[in-house]
Amino acid sequence: MGNLDSSWEMVIGLEVHAQLSTASKAFSTAKARLSDGESVAEERVNFNTNMICAGHPGTLPSLNKKAVELAIRAGLSTGCDIRLKSVFARKNYFYPDLPKGYQISQFDMPLCENGAINIELSDGKTKRIEIERIHMEEDAGKNVHMSGFSLVNLNRAGVPLIEIVSRPDMRSAEEAGAYLRELHSIVTAIDVCDGNMQEGNFRCDANVSVRKKGDSQLGTRTEIKNVNSFRFVEKAIEYEAARQVALIESGGKVVQETRLYDSAKNVTQPMRSKEEAHDYRYFPDPDLLPLVIEQSQIDAIQASLPELPREKKIRYQNEFGLSSYDAMVLTQSQDLSQIFESTLAILTVKKGAKTLSNFLSGEISRLMNEKDQKLSESKINSTHLARLVEVVSENVISSTGAKKVLSVIWETGQSVDEVIESEGLKQVSDMSALEPLVEEVLANNPNQVQQFRDGKEKLLGFFVGQVMKVSQGKANPERLKELLISKLKK
Amino acid sequence: MNSFSKFSEIREGYRSKKFSPVEVTQFYLDQIKKSKHNAYLDICEDRVLDQAKKVEKIIFSDKDAFEKYPLLGMPMGIKDLLNIDGVKTTCASKMLENYVAPYTATCVERLEKAGALSLGKLNLDEFAMGSSNENSAFGPVEHPTHPERVPGGSSGGSATAVGADLCLTSLGTDTGGSIRLPASFCGVVGYKPTYGRVSRFGVVAFASSLDQVGPFAKTVEDAALVAEVMSGKDIYDSTSSSESVGAWSSEISKPMDWKSLKVGVPKEYFVEGVEDSVRKSVEESLRWFESKGATLVDISLPHTEYAVSTYYVVAVSEASSNLARFDGVRFGTRPDGANESATLDEFYEKVRSQFGAEVKRRIILGTYALSSGYYDAYYSKACKVRRLIRNDFDEAFKKVDVIAGPVAPTVAFKRGAMLENPLQMYLMDIFTIPASLSGLPALSVPCGTQEDGLSIGLHLIGSPFADEKVLKVAHHFQKERYHG
Amino acid sequence: MAKVDVQLTEKVASLARLALSKEEKSSFTEQLGQILGYIEKISEVNVDGVEPMINPHDQILSLREDVAAEPFLNEEGNPKILDSAPDQLYDGFKVPQIL
Repeated sequence: MGNLDSSWEMVIGLEVHAQLSTASKAFSTAKARLSDGESVAEERVNFNTNMICAGHPGTLPSLNKKAVELAIRAGLSTGCDIRLKSVFARKNYFYPDLPKGYQISQFDMPLCENGAINIELSDGKTKRIEIERIHMEEDAGKNVHMSGFSLVNLNRAGVPLIEIVSRPDMRSAEEAGAYLRELHSIVTAIDVCDGNMQEGNFRCDANVSVRKKGDSQLGTRTEIKNVNSFRFVEKAIEYEAARQVALIESGGKVVQETRLYDSAKNVTQPMRSKEEAHDYRYFPDPDLLPLVIEQSQIDAIQASLPELPREKKIRYQNEFGLSSYDAMVLTQSQDLSQIFESTLAILTVKKGAKTLSNFLSGEISRLMNEKDQKLSESKINSTHLARLVEVVSENVISSTGAKKVLSVIWETGQSVDEVIESEGLKQVSDMSALEPLVEEVLANNPNQVQQFRDGKEKLLGFFVGQVMKVSQGKANPERLKELLISKLKK
Repeated sequence: MNSFSKFSEIREGYRSKKFSPVEVTQFYLDQIKKSKHNAYLDICEDRVLDQAKKVEKIIFSDKDAFEKYPLLGMPMGIKDLLNIDGVKTTCASKMLENYVAPYTATCVERLEKAGALSLGKLNLDEFAMGSSNENSAFGPVEHPTHPERVPGGSSGGSATAVGADLCLTSLGTDTGGSIRLPASFCGVVGYKPTYGRVSRFGVVAFASSLDQVGPFAKTVEDAALVAEVMSGKDIYDSTSSSESVGAWSSEISKPMDWKSLKVGVPKEYFVEGVEDSVRKSVEESLRWFESKGATLVDISLPHTEYAVSTYYVVAVSEASSNLARFDGVRFGTRPDGANESATLDEFYEKVRSQFGAEVKRRIILGTYALSSGYYDAYYSKACKVRRLIRNDFDEAFKKVDVIAGPVAPTVAFKRGAMLENPLQMYLMDIFTIPASLSGLPALSVPCGTQEDGLSIGLHLIGSPFADEKVLKVAHHFQKERYHG
Repeated sequence: MAKVDVQLTEKVASLARLALSKEEKSSFTEQLGQILGYIEKISEVNVDGVEPMINPHDQILSLREDVAAEPFLNEEGNPKILDSAPDQLYDGFKVPQIL
C-alpha cells in the first residue's frame, strides 16, 4: 500500500510502553529481570510472583526508587518538564492478568509532560514531534489461551513501565517509523530500557485517523495495538490509513476500535470487542502518597545523562565528516557507536573514520540483520576494525575482500591478516603483476578492443570482468581500470 | 484459674511461677470452647500451644526475658481480617471461607516477636463493613454479657472476646468507628491510633486512607502497651509514618497534671438523638475532669454534620476498588458452576455473588461515586469536605489538648433492631467518623453503665500523633475514677 | 444527581461484576436512593479553594531501594502463591476461556 491520495492526510499518534531496566518490580521486591538479563517471561510460570504481585488480600505497594530515577531520565532526555509532585492513580477494570482488579498508573498528574524529539526524514528535513506525557505504571501478567480455558502467568505482573504518549503530530508511516527509532535509540542510550522488542520490552500502539487535507477536525481514530517491530508499525499504519480512506470514500464511517496487525497478511483486523468503552474510574491511589521530587535530584540526574543520540549524530557529521545516513545508523545503536569511537581511538589512518563508518553502516549492519544478532554478540572487536581500515586504505584487499573478512571474523574472531592469508584475499595492485594479465586479455579479445576504440566505452566493464577472472578476483579494480584505460586508449 | 483483668497480673504470675504460659493458654482455650458468643471463627490450638511452649523456654532460659519481650505470654485474639501465615483469613465472608494466608501481617509479626500468643481469629462484620457484627457470613457475635444484644461492629468478635474473658487483649481495625463503637457497647477499652502509626501490610483493606489496626483490652495500660509494640514505620506500607513511637506504656503512668489539661467539648456532639443514659454518663465524666482541675472548653466542629455523608463516599469508593481483587482467579472460593461459565464476566459475577448484601451495597455505592460523570460531584467533592472536617479539628486543637464526647448515640441495641434500614445503621458512627476521616488518635474508655448493666463509652480524641497524650488522659481517667 | 432507578443499579452493578437478583435489584435501588439522598448533603458545602484530602497527614511517598528478593516459594520449592489457587494447570491460574 503506497501513499494516500494527495487530498487525504493521515494523522498518527503513538503510545510506547517501555520496560524500565530495574532489578526489582515497580511495587514489590520480585525480580524485574532474570540474572542473565533475560526477560522474566523466560522464568518458569509463576515462579517470579510473590503475594504482592498476585494481589493477595492485605498486600500494599512500595515504590521502587530506581524506577523513578529512570523515568525522570527518560523525561529529561525527551525535553519534558518533570513534575515536582506527581500522583499515582488506580485504573480499575476486570481482567485475569490484572491481579488487583486495577492497574497502578498515573492519570491527571503524570511525572513528565510537554517534551519533544526531532526526527530526520529521508529527504533530509527534520520534524519536531511533541510528547504529551510520560507516566509510570506497572505491567500486567500474561494470559495464555488454550481450548476452552485460559491460563494466567503473573511473572511479568508489576514490572515497571513508562508510557510515552506523543501528540498526534505524525503525518506518514515514515514519520512514525523515524519517531520510534529515535525514541528507541534515546531510551537505550540512557540505559532506561533495553529496547528489546521481541521480548516486549518496547511496545508500540498506533492511533491512526485520516482527514481531508486542510480539515482541522480530527477524524475518528482506531488503535493498532502491540506491534513489535518498526517495520511492521510502518506497514500497519499504511494499511490502516488506506483502509480508512477507502471506507470513507465508499460511504462508510470509521469505527473507533482496537485493531491488531497481522504481519503475514499485512492487514489490520478488529480485536474481539471487549464490550463498551471502559469506565476506568480513575482516582488517586490511597496506598501510595504523592511522589515529591526535589529540583536538586532532577539536576543531578540531568548532569549524569550521557550524550544523546541526536547530539552524537551531529557531532559525528561535523567532526568526522560522516554522511547523515551513516551518522544516523551509528548513533541509533549503542554497539555501533561504542565500537566506532573505540576503534577511532586506536586508528592511525587519516580519514579512516569514513571508511570505518562505511563498514559499520554497510556490511556489519547487513550481517547483524542476517544473523539476527547484536554486534556485541559477534567476535569482531575494535582491533579488527582498525586493522581492516588500514589494509583497505593501503589497497591490500578490495572492498569485496573486506566484506569477506568481516563475515569470517564475525564467527571466528581471527586476526584480519590471518583471514586475508587463509582466504587468499590479497589484491594484485602492483602494476608489474597486473600488466601481463591485462595484455593477455586484450590479446585474446581483439574484436572487443576494436569496438572499444571505436566508441563502445561500456566494454570497459567486460575487460575488467575478464581480468578478474584470470586473476581469480584478486586484481585491484581501481588500478586495473587505470591500466586498462591507458592501454586501450593507445 | 480465674480470668485476668490486666497483663501485669499474668506477668507477675509467670515471674513468680504461680502458673505457666501453657496453663494460661489452656485456660483461655477452655473459655473459648465453652463460650456461646461466636466470637472466634478459628482457634489456632496447635499453633498457640506451640508458641506457649516456646515462651516457657524463654522464661526459663533468659533472665531478662520480660524486659526483652514486652508481651511475653500475652493471650491475644486477632480480628479475622489480619493475616497469619498458614492460618485462614476469612474476613467473615463466603468468598474466603477456606483461604489460607501465605504471609503474616507486620503488626501481628511484631506482637508475636514480642512474645504474644495468638489464640485464634475473631469474628467481624464481613470485610469490616458494619456496626453490629450482624453481617458475618458465619453468624452474628453475641454481646459479652447480654446475649440478645449486638456487641457493635465491625470488630464485634474482638470486643466480645475481651469483654467475655476469651483473651486478654485483641486486635481490631477501625475505619469509621469499628474499634471504638464495639468497645463502648461491650464495656472495654478500644483504641484507634493515629492513621499511619500501625502498618496495614497484611490487613485486608476496606478503606485504605482510613483503616487502622488497634487494640482492645480491659485497661488503657494494656492497650497502650500493645499499641506501642506494634507501631512504627514499615517499608512494606507506604502510608505508615516515620514519626517516632515513644515509650507510651511507661510514660502514661507518670503523674497526670490535670490542671494544665484542656478538654474540648464540641457542641455538635451533644445534640438530640443521643440517649439519655449516654448523655448522662458522658456529662458526669466531663464534670469529673473538672473536679480534678482540668478546664472544659466549649468548641465547635461545624462540619460534623457532613461527616457521615463524606465517609460514605470516600470509604465506599476506596472499598469498591480494594474488593475488585476478589475475582476467584488467584484465591478464594469458586461456587459450583463458576468454572463452567460461558464467559469471563459470567465467571466473575458467579464468584462475586458470594459477597453479603452490605458488602455488595457498598461496592455499588463506591463504583457509582467514582464513575464517569459522578466523580466530581461525589468523590472529588467528598475529599474536599474531608479536609474541611480535618481543619475544624486543627482549629480546635489550638485551644484544647483532647476532645471528649460520646462514642455512640446509644448503648448496645438488640440484634435485628437496625437491619431494616442501612442508613440508620450508618448513623451509629456519627461521632466516631470525624476522627477517622481526620486520621486522629481516638479511643473509647468505659465511663458508666445503665441500670441494666449495659455500658457507655467515653470518646477521647487527640491531635495528630498525640497518641501518648490521649492514652495518658484515658489511663488516668480509668485509674483514678474507677480503681482509686 | 441522576435518578436512581433499576437501570442505574444494573449498570453500576455490571461495572462491578455483581449480578443482582430481581429482589436485590429493587431493594438495592431503594436503599441506594435513600443513601444517596442523604449523601447529597455534601453538595451544600462551599469548597472553593479547598485542596482534596486523600491522605490525612498529607504525607509524601518514601521510596524503596531497587533490590530483588528471593523467589516466593513454599517448602517444596514451588510458587507459594499457587497454594491458594482455586484451579491451576501447568503452574498457571486456570480460568474459563477469555473470549
